[in-house]
This record gives sequence, C-alpha cells and structure tokens, in this order.
Amino acid sequence: MNRFAIATPKSFKEAGELLADKRFTLPVLKGGGMDVLDHMKEGLYEPDVLINIKRLRPDGAQAVSEASGGVRIEGNATLAEIAASKSVQTQSPVVAQACESAATPQVRNVATAAGNLLQRPRCWYYRNVQFECLKKGGDRCYSVEGENKYHAIFGGGPCHIVHPSNLAPALMVCDGVVHLSGGKRESVAIADLFHMPEKGITSEHTLDKGEIITHITFKPATKSGFYVVKEKQSFDWPLVLACVSLELDGDTIKAARVCAGAVAPVPWMLPKVAEALKGVKVSDDAALRKAAALSTDGATPMRDNAYKLKLLPVAVRRAVLRAAGKDPEPQA
Amino acid sequence: MRPAPPFDPTNLATTNRPMNKGSYSDNTSRLDAAAKVTGRAKYSKDMYLPNAIFVALVRCPYGAGDLESFDKGAAMAVPGVLEVDISGKEGKYHGQNVGYLAAESPHAMKRGMRALKAKWTRSAVKTTIAEGMKEAPDVDQDSKNLLAKADHVLTAEYSTQVQIHACLETHGSVVDHRGDSATVYSSTQGTSSAKDGLERTIGLPKSKYEVVCEYIGGGFGSKLNGAGKEGATAAQVAAKYKRPAYLFVNRAEDQLDTGNRPSVHARVNIGFAKDGTILGGEIRTWGGVGVSRGGGNISVPSGRYKLGDIKRPHIDVTLNAGGPRPFRAPGAPPGAFIEELMLDEVATIAGVDPLALRLKLEQDADRREMLTMGAKLIGWTNRKATGSQKGAMRRGFGMGTTSWGHGATQTEAEVAIHRDGSVEARSGTQDIGTGQRTIMGVMAAESLHVPLNLVSVNIGNSSLPIGPGSGGSQTASSSAPAMAAAGEDARNKLLAAVAEKTAVDVATLSIENGAILKDNKAFMTWKEACAKLPTETLVGHGVWNRKEAQSHPSTGHSHGAQFAEVEVDAETGVIHVKRVIAIQSGGKIISRKTAESQVIGAVIQGISYALFEARVLDRNVGSMINANLETYKILGPNDMPHIEPILWGKGQTGVRPIGEPPTIPTAGVIACAVFNALGKPVRHLPMTPDKVLAALEGAGA
Repeated sequence: MNRFAIATPKSFKEAGELLADKRFTLPVLKGGGMDVLDHMKEGLYEPDVLINIKRLRPDGAQAVSEASGGVRIEGNATLAEIAASKSVQTQSPVVAQACESAATPQVRNVATAAGNLLQRPRCWYYRNVQFECLKKGGDRCYSVEGENKYHAIFGGGPCHIVHPSNLAPALMVCDGVVHLSGGKRESVAIADLFHMPEKGITSEHTLDKGEIITHITFKPATKSGFYVVKEKQSFDWPLVLACVSLELDGDTIKAARVCAGAVAPVPWMLPKVAEALKGVKVSDDAALRKAAALSTDGATPMRDNAYKLKLLPVAVRRAVLRAAGKDPEPQA
Repeated sequence: MRPAPPFDPTNLATTNRPMNKGSYSDNTSRLDAAAKVTGRAKYSKDMYLPNAIFVALVRCPYGAGDLESFDKGAAMAVPGVLEVDISGKEGKYHGQNVGYLAAESPHAMKRGMRALKAKWTRSAVKTTIAEGMKEAPDVDQDSKNLLAKADHVLTAEYSTQVQIHACLETHGSVVDHRGDSATVYSSTQGTSSAKDGLERTIGLPKSKYEVVCEYIGGGFGSKLNGAGKEGATAAQVAAKYKRPAYLFVNRAEDQLDTGNRPSVHARVNIGFAKDGTILGGEIRTWGGVGVSRGGGNISVPSGRYKLGDIKRPHIDVTLNAGGPRPFRAPGAPPGAFIEELMLDEVATIAGVDPLALRLKLEQDADRREMLTMGAKLIGWTNRKATGSQKGAMRRGFGMGTTSWGHGATQTEAEVAIHRDGSVEARSGTQDIGTGQRTIMGVMAAESLHVPLNLVSVNIGNSSLPIGPGSGGSQTASSSAPAMAAAGEDARNKLLAAVAEKTAVDVATLSIENGAILKDNKAFMTWKEACAKLPTETLVGHGVWNRKEAQSHPSTGHSHGAQFAEVEVDAETGVIHVKRVIAIQSGGKIISRKTAESQVIGAVIQGISYALFEARVLDRNVGSMINANLETYKILGPNDMPHIEPILWGKGQTGVRPIGEPPTIPTAGVIACAVFNALGKPVRHLPMTPDKVLAALEGAGA
C-alpha cells in the first residue's frame, strides 16, 4: 500500500475544499472505508490523501431521523443503523431489508449509506489489477469472451458490470433523493445518480468532482419489500435482487414500483412489470407470475448468465409478496 | 433464508447409539484452546523478529507468459529494498515464481514489487479438462459386451471443480539465521520433513538448525511439502544476510500456488439388472492437474460397493494452472461424489430404494450396520420418492459411505518426569488443528496414571523426538501408541527408583490417579515419589512403526456412513442443507471432543466443496480471477446445517484414522439428497443455482 495522509475536515465545506486542493494528486473521500481499503490493497488506486467524513454530521444529527414527508438518513449512517431503525422498518421496510441483507454484521457496522451507493463494481476483471479492462482505461471488457456468470443481463455493454448496491434499488422504489454539498446541485434524485457505461465507463455515478453526499431522504413506502437470491447465504453478493413498493386496496395492487439489482450497470427499473401488476390480486399467483415474467423483457444475457433470467421473475414475485406482508418463501 | 428448526434429539433413537463409552477422555477441551482464542498462541506467521528481512516472490500474472522486462533499478531505488533476484523468464501458470525481492520492511517490499513494473507477454493457455478429452476412445469391446447384457445402462458425465486448501494461515516460513545456527518457524504439517532438504539453502549442518511450529492455522495436506519454495527462499536470503528472513505469501498467492484438489471429469457407462445389481462397465476419468503431469487420480470405484467388473481408465490433463497437492483424502471426495450419485441414479432407474440398494451392494458388515442406523436417525421413512415432488421447496434425503486404511509412520516419543513432580510429554509432531497436542497429553497422563493437569505437552519442534507428518490420517494412530509406550516406560522407571530408595519390592507398587500405592494402599504422594528420583529428570521412551503396528492386531481400518436432509428451492436453485448425520469409526477414541470436532469440520468442508468452492480461471488469459476469499466462496454460518457426529464404538480397538474419512462422502451425500428432492441429478460441482436450474431443465447432464 502507498503512503497516504488522512485529513479530518470539520465540515462538508472543508471536505469539499480538500477535494479541490491542488496539492493533492488523488484525494479520496472515506466513509466507512470498506471499498477504499479494498482498492488500495489490490493496488487499483493510490490516493495521497483520504478525507475522512465518517464522523461528519450536523450537530446533534442522528443516523436516521424523520424528515418532512419521509425519512432522512445521513450519508455516513451505517447499514446496521439503517437496518435497525424502527422508523425505516415501519415507513420503508424495503430500505431496512436491503441494508440488513448486505455483506456481514461486521461490514454493516462500518459500511455507510453513501459508500454503499458509490462503491465500485465487484466485477472480477475490474478488481484484478492485471486486467486492463475498459473501466480502467483499457481496450476491452474481458467478461465478453471470458467468465461472465455474475455479469449484467441488461444494458448490452460495452462494460458489463452489475451495480453492486443493495440500497440504491431500494431507494429507487421510494423516491430517494440524494442531498449534496460542495457543487452546483443541492440534490439529485436517486434515479439520476447513476449512469450507464455509454455515458462514461470509468465511473458509475453522475456526481461532479467536489460534490459530496451529505444525506439521503426518501418517502414512506409502508408496503414495500426486498428479495435477494445469493449462492451463499453468508457474505455473498446478489445473483439478482428485487425491490418493490405497492399501493394496495385490500388484496388488490393499485400501483407498484419495481426495481431490480445485480442485473445491469445501474439499478434497473421494471416499469412493464409495475404496469402489469396494476389491478392484480396479491393472492392470484398466476397473475403475479405473468406480471413478473415481464421482468426479463429486453434482456441480453451473456454465455454464462442466462440463469439470471429464471431468477429475476422469482425475485420480483417474492418481493411483491414480501411487500404485501406475506411470507415470500415457499414451504417444503 | 429461514433459520433451521431447532434440533430435537428426542425424535431420534438416541438410546441405541453405540457411543464410545470406552474413550480415554470424553470432555477434555483442547489444551491450547485458551491460547488460541485469546490470541496468545503465536503462529509461525506471527513471528515478526527484530531486524527481519521481508521477502516476496515475483510471479507470473497470467496462465502463460514470458517476462519481457522489469525495472530493477526503480525497485532498488525504493528506500528499504535490499535485493532483486530474478532468474526465470517463463511462466506456465498464474502465480509461478521467477525470482524474489527482499526488503527491510513489508511496506518497502510491497512498494519495491510495484516499482519493479514487471511486464509479461501473454501466450496461449489451456484451462479446461475438455481440451484433453477430445481424443477419448470409445468404451472397449469387453465393456460393450457386458453392457449389452444389462437390463439398463446408465450413461452420464460428472465433473468436479478445483478446490483450494484456503488455510487461514497462509504458507510460509520465517528463518531466524544467527550466522552459526538458525531457527526456522514454518507453517508446516511436518517439522521433521520441513527440516529435510533445507541444509543446503540455509548453509548449516542439520545439527545447527531446528524447525519450530507451535501452532498452525490450517493444513489439509498443502503443508506436507517440506518447507516449500517459501521456506527455501527465506532460508537462502537469511543465510546470505545472516539475519531473520520472513516469507509468508499473501492470500492471492496462497490461492494460486500452494496446491489444490484437482478437478475431475468422469464419463460413466455402467450396466445393471432390473433389481439394481450392477454388472459393471467403464468409468473413464480425467484429472485437471494444472502444471503438474500427474496427481489427479480419483478413487472411483471406491471398493466399498459390489459394482461388478468396472474398467477405470484415467488420464491426467496438464493445464496452465497451479498444480495439485495432497488434500484431505485427495481423490476420494470427488470419487465418492460420482459413485454415490451414480448409485442413486441406478436405484431410481431400477425403481429400488437407494438404502436397499446400498445394503445389497455394501461389502462391509460394519458399514451395513451404520447405514441402517443412520437411516433411522435421519428419518429415512420420511423420504419421498425421487421426482415425486412438484412444489417450489422440495425436501431430499441422501446417503453415502466412507472408509480409510490404517498405516503406521516411524514415531518416537518421550515422557519426562522432573524431580518437582512436573511431567512433560515430548513429540516433534505438530497440531494442525486436529487436537494432536491434546491427545499427546491425554496419552501421557493415561499411561502414567496421573491427572492430565500434571502434564505439559511440548510438540511442534524438530529437535524433539521425531513425530509423524500430519498426513494420511496416521498422526494419532502412529503417535498415540508411541506416547503411551513412553509413559509406560517412565512409570516403570519411576516406580523402580521409588522401590530402590524405599527398599520395597517394585512389584508391590502402582500408580493411581497420581498417587503411589503399595499393595493397593496409599504409600506416598506423587511429589514425594518424584523427589526420590536419582537424577533431575527421568525420561521414558516410546517407539511406534510399521513393525510394531503389525504385531498389534487391535489396529484397523476406519469406516463411516453419512446421511443428509436438504431443502432445495426449485425456483431459485438454492440448496439449504438442514441436517447431516455423520457416523464414523476411529478406533478407541482418545479425546472425544476433538474427534467430534474433526468429524464436524470434515462435513463442513465437504458441504462447502459440494455447494460453493471453485477456482475460476479466465479461459483466455488463464489468470485465476477469484484468488481471494470473496469470490472463492467458502461455507459461512448461515449455510451451516445441524451436524451430528456419532463416533462408532462397536468393535473399536487401537487408534484408527479419523481426520480424512469423514470428508469423503459428504459431497456425494448432498448430491443424492438434491437428486431425491428434484428428480434430476446435478452432476457437476459445485451445485450452484445456475447448475441446479440447468439440471431441472434437463440440460447440463
């Protein structure tokens, strides 16, 4: 690992100034530091200063608080704090469930909300330093001809990463807004935080240099749920995941929002599924299956990841059940 | 995932279990448990010695390549870099070493490695067994004739993946060279074999250096290769500078270049009668042995079942990848996976219960009894017919067997009694986590007839009496009798000394629970007796070897049977293993807790192999792209089933193998249970959701 300095700014303004400080070649913001450390250990980048914003919060601010018309979580709230928050659990269960499902208890106690949104992809070509892939300024995506079991089934490249965040797709179904400091924008809708590879391969988000996530707000989605399929049930990344929020009239779905994760370079909204769910009774298994089957419309699987086409409708349907307060998993 | 239901032992026929009432020690906890859990235990990797040099190996980053250039000047210019020595030019696998860099600190070493900017030109690679299977001959005429006579023929292809040992403590050594003598702190499964062959690189006669290995963070077979290239390089650097040299590989290097269990592909053509009687046929196998030329043999058929006349041609396929090393029952787990799943497929085609089929084919009476007992414990009668379940969540039951041969390795041991009454059990052998330290203590205490807390155990040092390498499940069976003999010798010598000093007939003396008896009545305390020793220390000696073993008919083979209950989500392909019953014989058990722990650990490793672990090579570049513990997946707590180890007591005498046999059947047992649940066999490990879903569609066979 390279030598680096740690700066501990007293305010987001000061953090922004440090980011812009010309004395530094590669200043990097550090929240929990999970992904920063991974990158430094692998030699993927060598920051000369880490700007530690882990403890930076407005005076007296709690990790999670009630905001006008919704919930506010600080950018450096840990995943564990969000998962354990009663107001998140009751107002937007999908957010609590998404945070609870990530990584391990140890990681969740350290990893932050903003870090979860902005972590870099887990693609094994990106993470291995000997592969000069597109994301690292190279000339090809090695997954195309190589090992693409965990790669994207939507988007069509040229870079085939899947977005690694659990939290982002959850925020997508409850109007998440990311609040910023240090740039021109005050805030950005979660849907506009990420971009597809064709808009720039070397980064996944739309933040300008100097823009720092201070906090996140989202609207209540009391009927919402998360479902993830993983190979391993401890410490593993999703094969697919689905986040759903519903408006229910008794058993009948009046409106739905559906977002998938781990299937595309960005959180992947599924508006066709949402539309098809309108008017469907949650107890009508056949109708749910029919609507969920639309989740793979437009997918372009690679050689080894077509199995995700089978998983995604299952995850969507089970997330709907969970959103409606039902046990999503079948009994033996 | 839903948590597993609480285990209810009252549901099982617990009263009929042949528990090992005769074990030496039922409840002794590991003697080093406190040291290990408090961090007081110092592993070889923890040996950061003053003035040490840190050494890294320069390695090929691709499956094949030539070292085009490197910037030695830039590396040497990094403060703290002492030396760059690169002699090789060609890499035939990812991780192959071509030289080393030595530096004053770990950070200087890493910075130096980066400054080296080694540039490699890639060349074409061979990464899959399939490339070696292209010219496979057809089944031979004899087998064809035999198959033609059969009522049914099962034709199927099975495959297993490369499994990495993934020891928590990576491979390496620290060589403390003092100029005229040295101590080698090695993470090794054999203190004496690690000593062998180092004399040239370390530049000292064998009398001038010793190998120390107090604790090991996992071995599993990959640390049986002496001090290895890591130890040899550390010794070379240490000898050159007459300073301590530290070379422990990092996690990625450990995954790449410290051995593995090779992959297997099997093509099965077997014929059987309507009732499941197997006539024979051919099981053709290929081993994916990486850069090695051999080492991929697999144990199929195992010999445990009557399978008629089976031909078993085998070819090892050399690939651009790290080569194999011994790995906990090397070729047996993949062999058992193929054999057990094949048997369940035969049973299903023939329409017979797999339990009935196994009882019919089973060669050994003990294992037949174990099968019957295990079936009762798992609740075999709750099993539904294979293929009969249609719901999303399906339940399955599977079974399998295991066996392991007994051997003996030349072993010496000492029990020393000091005048102050303290006792030392001495053996050069090492504890790779099996409980070896504990059983050495138990054997010394048992044979002396003193309480265990009187005994301190000194192991893990090549200067102590030679102990066996931790391999072949022979460590306990070789060292325990040697330690018992040493204890007996020490006891006799102590009593002789007491008899002489007190002028009584030695034949009237005995020891019970640390007290000296005369004619079975209290005579003197242990301390009083030891104070009468003519010298400061009395040493009892014990030996065990093949000859001794042959004259002790009490030793024998180990057997076992395992059963599993699984739930398979047929919509996602996710497998939840709920329960495993592991019945295992291992002779007269020395330390019940550590023996049970061995069985549990073996089952965990077997499930992890069945469901998760796999080395992934990029097929074009040949690099291992999951050389870490993130995407090289190992079973974690949420995937742990309830595991019930049952140590078989019936007819058990002597000390028998127990380290390897319980990991043999597990993957096959899980595969059978999954087949039972789904009605389709998953013939390729690891059984990840993609493969399960493919099997359900009938593809992937």
